[in-house]
This record gives sequence, C-alpha cells and structure tokens, in this order.
Amino acid sequence: MNLGGAIRAIISFLIFVVLHYTLRPLLGWRAPMDFLVLALLLASVRVRPASAAVIGFVLGLISDSLAPDALGAGALAMTAVGFGASYLKAVFFADNLVLNAFFFFLGKWVFDIIYFVAEQRVHGVELVQQLLLWSPLSAAVTAAVGVLLLFIMRPLLEPTPA
Amino acid sequence: MARAIRSNTRLDLIVLSACVVLALAARALPNTMRDPVATGMRRGFLAPLVMLQERSEKGRQSLLAADAKQAHLDSLSLASMRAGELEGENDRLRKLIGLGARVRTGFIPAEALHGRGIRDETTVILSAGSRAGVTRLSPVIAPEGLVGVVDQVDPTMSHAMLWTHPDFRVSAMSPDGTAFGIAQAHLTGATGGYLIELRGVPFRATLKPGALIVSSGWGGVWPRGIPVGTVLEEIKTTEGWARTYLLRPAVNPSDVYSVMILRRERLAKGLEGVWQSVAQADAAAQRVVVAGDSAARSAALAEAAARRAVIDSMARANGAPPLGAADSVRAVAPRPAPVRRPPPADTGRRDTTRRDTTRRDSVPPPDTIPLRPGVTR
Repeated sequence: MNLGGAIRAIISFLIFVVLHYTLRPLLGWRAPMDFLVLALLLASVRVRPASAAVIGFVLGLISDSLAPDALGAGALAMTAVGFGASYLKAVFFADNLVLNAFFFFLGKWVFDIIYFVAEQRVHGVELVQQLLLWSPLSAAVTAAVGVLLLFIMRPLLEPTPA
Repeated sequence: MARAIRSNTRLDLIVLSACVVLALAARALPNTMRDPVATGMRRGFLAPLVMLQERSEKGRQSLLAADAKQAHLDSLSLASMRAGELEGENDRLRKLIGLGARVRTGFIPAEALHGRGIRDETTVILSAGSRAGVTRLSPVIAPEGLVGVVDQVDPTMSHAMLWTHPDFRVSAMSPDGTAFGIAQAHLTGATGGYLIELRGVPFRATLKPGALIVSSGWGGVWPRGIPVGTVLEEIKTTEGWARTYLLRPAVNPSDVYSVMILRRERLAKGLEGVWQSVAQADAAAQRVVVAGDSAARSAALAEAAARRAVIDSMARANGAPPLGAADSVRAVAPRPAPVRRPPPADTGRRDTTRRDTTRRDSVPPPDTIPLRPGVTR
C-alpha cells in the first residue's frame, strides 16, 4: 500500500470512528450499527495480523473507556476480530458486495459473542437472547450500513492503480 | 522465504498474545483501578469523541422531545393569551366583591351577556331572572357605578337597558346637591354613545370639569348616590335657560360583564356611603384583596404600630403629648376660633366628593324627598 492509499485508509478509518460517536447515538436504535467494527475490518484487511490486533486492542480500549465496567472486554473482542479479519482477508475481501456484507456481519457477530461472554454482565436466557437475536440484528444492520458506506466511499477505499 | 513467513507468523502470534493478555488484565482490574484508567482516557485523547457523543445524544433527546415541547409552548402561548383577559376579569370580580361588601344585602349578582346584533351597546342579557328576585325597573349597577335598568324579566334571565340606550334617563346631581339635571346618552357624534349628557342643570349652578355626578334618587328607580360620570365640559345647546354638561361615564358598557341587580326592597334603604367616590370603591376592592392575605395584613399592622411608636417618641422628645392623647387634650384645651382659610386650588373636586358632610345639610334625606304623583318608590 502506497502513501496515498494509506492516507485515504486513515481518513476512512477516522470517518467511521467519528460516525460511531455521532450518528449512532443520534439514531439510538435498539439494534445499533457498529462503526468501530467496520473501521477495524476495513483497516485489518490492509495491514498485517499483528498490526490489526494492535488496532483492535486500541479501538476496544476506546470503546471500553465509555463503559468502565466492561473495560477489557471490548479490547479482547476487537483484538480477536481484527486479527481474524486480517488473517482471513484473502478469503473474504474480494470485490463482491455480498461477500463483504457477510464479512461485516460475521465480524460484528463474533465481536458481540466475545464481548458479552467476556463482559459477564448478562447471563442465561438473556445472554442467549442477546447473542441469538439482538446481536445478529445489529450485525445485519452493521453489514447493511457497511456495504452502503463501501459503495459511497469507494473512491477512498479503492486501491490506487499502478 | 518460508523462514520469513514463519517468523512473521510467530510475530503476529506474539503480538496477538500480548494484546489478549493486556485485554484480560484490563478486564481483571479491580474497580478502584479500572475507573481511573477509563476516566483518564475519557479526559485525555478521547475527550473530543466523548463531546461528540454527548452532543449527539442531546440532539436525539431534543428531537424526541420536540413534539412535547412544541405542545407545551402552544399551551403556554394559549395561557398567556388568556392571562390578560383573566386578570381583567379577576379585577372586575374583586371590585364587585368590594361593592357587595358595602351594599351588604338586597342585590342579585348576575353575568351580563352581550349580544352580537345592532343594539349591542344599548342592551344586555342578564343571567338572573324573576326566580332570583329580579323585577322590572330593577337598577343594574357595577363597581364603577350605574349601568342601566331591567326592562324585561324572564324566569331565568332578564333584559336590561344600558345607559347608552336612547330612551334611558336618570335624575342626577352633584354630590353636594347644588346642581341637578337629567342624564342621558350623548348620541351626537361618532363616539357619542360612550358619553353622557347632563341636561337641564339650572343656569345658576356651575360644574367644574372632573366633578362627580351621582344619581339623585328622584324618580324612584335609582337610589341616591350611584356614580353616573364625571364632568368633562359644558356644551352649548339651544336651551338658554339651563346648562348642559358632557360627562365621562362611570361605566363603559363594553366592559360590563359582572353586574349587580338591586332588589326593590333594597332601594328603600338607600345606598348611602356605598360610593363615596369611585376611588373609594376601588379602595374597597383593594381592601378585600389585602384582607385575604393575612401576612400582608399583619405586616401592615406591625408597620402602623411601629410608625405610631416613632411619632409618639418624637412627640415626647418635642414636649408634645403623644398621638393617642391628642383627643383628650383637645377636649380640655380651649378651642381656638375657627379661621376660614381660602380654599386651595383643587378644592372644587375635593368638595364634590366629600358629600357626606355637605349633602345632609343642603339636600333632604331620600325618605323626605317628595315623590311625584303616581310614582311609586
């Protein structure tokens, strides 16, 4: 990745982070989209797994700092999702919107599973309901928004032709 | 090549392991250490993001509360639009309460319902009828003064002729009894309906502008002493043997909403002292308001007592008797010869309002006024 591509990727990453703290609270949906996971996935496919794990760890700490009771849970989940996304980028990150949507869906769902298990705030039926109902819904919304943003931000995200 | 790939993979796993361990360590932190870490991050490099999130959440709350706030604002606007009307109505009712306290008995409170026809300003419908004791020719009064007379009576309502009616007449006089006349609506001119003429005033009697005119009690319909209006000016007419004055009415017919209908038996007792002046009628209403506030009343009493104590102490310091002993001293001491002082510039109006001391000398009491033949009181 050349310098121009890196700058555009960083700008896209920052846009997703800002959207997470502006558009998401403004909408206030019960099954919200997760722009931080989208930012992590888009960054992870462009870097090595180690870097993706570090980016995920930092993003997780950022999200955990606003919910101190879950400090570390988000970092753990983001680390795992970032590393996995970077490791599997050759499989998933093809030029296919449906495959990208599934990639976003899976990333968000895995994040939620690790997060809620590590957080240990909800248990039993409530945890099952969260993981099998609300998390897939949130992952679906995240995937839809991710695909939409990929389409909108394609000039920023496309690799520079050689 | 294969060694480099294995080395990179090992590095990735090491970094991953380090991140996982750090995350688990953060998760295992006790609350006493977890909160400072999170707080430090929020107050540090995350402060802009936290601010963005707060503003977004406030924006969402504003959006959600917009409809409720708009409804609240509409309610407030509606209430504020009605506030002036309610204050005016409250003021009128307080005055009416003050008047009722002075009249004491023999009256029927009623609401005046204005019509929407051509004769709006000359007649009203009253919300009390014969079942409440209203009879034909019952006087209708307001806290400010004379309103009109009942001309038709139904069981539950009645119809009253306001003083603005062309057929309305009332015998009126100055409070000191020096000038008598017939008051009727001043019908000439564009605004004539809201002024009164006092016709037939003897040529020798002059009235100064601002003088109060009250009903004289002659005629048997209105008792003596109801304010009719105040003198504005003398107007020239073709009648050379009498004067005609233009009066500002005591009651504006468009402002009449709550009135009192006097019973016929109340007329025989007269309304002496009810209207010593329009200002005193207002003061009576004000007293009702003040009487309702015990705190204000007690404060006023305390202030009066303190003022009296100061005056007494000053009088003692000057060698004079205290205020409370003035009457006894005056009773013992020889009274100096009365000195007639020249009247001050504004005594004309003041004389006209202090009618309790002058009218009894100059005008016979209402019971002794001879009635015209055929007129029943």
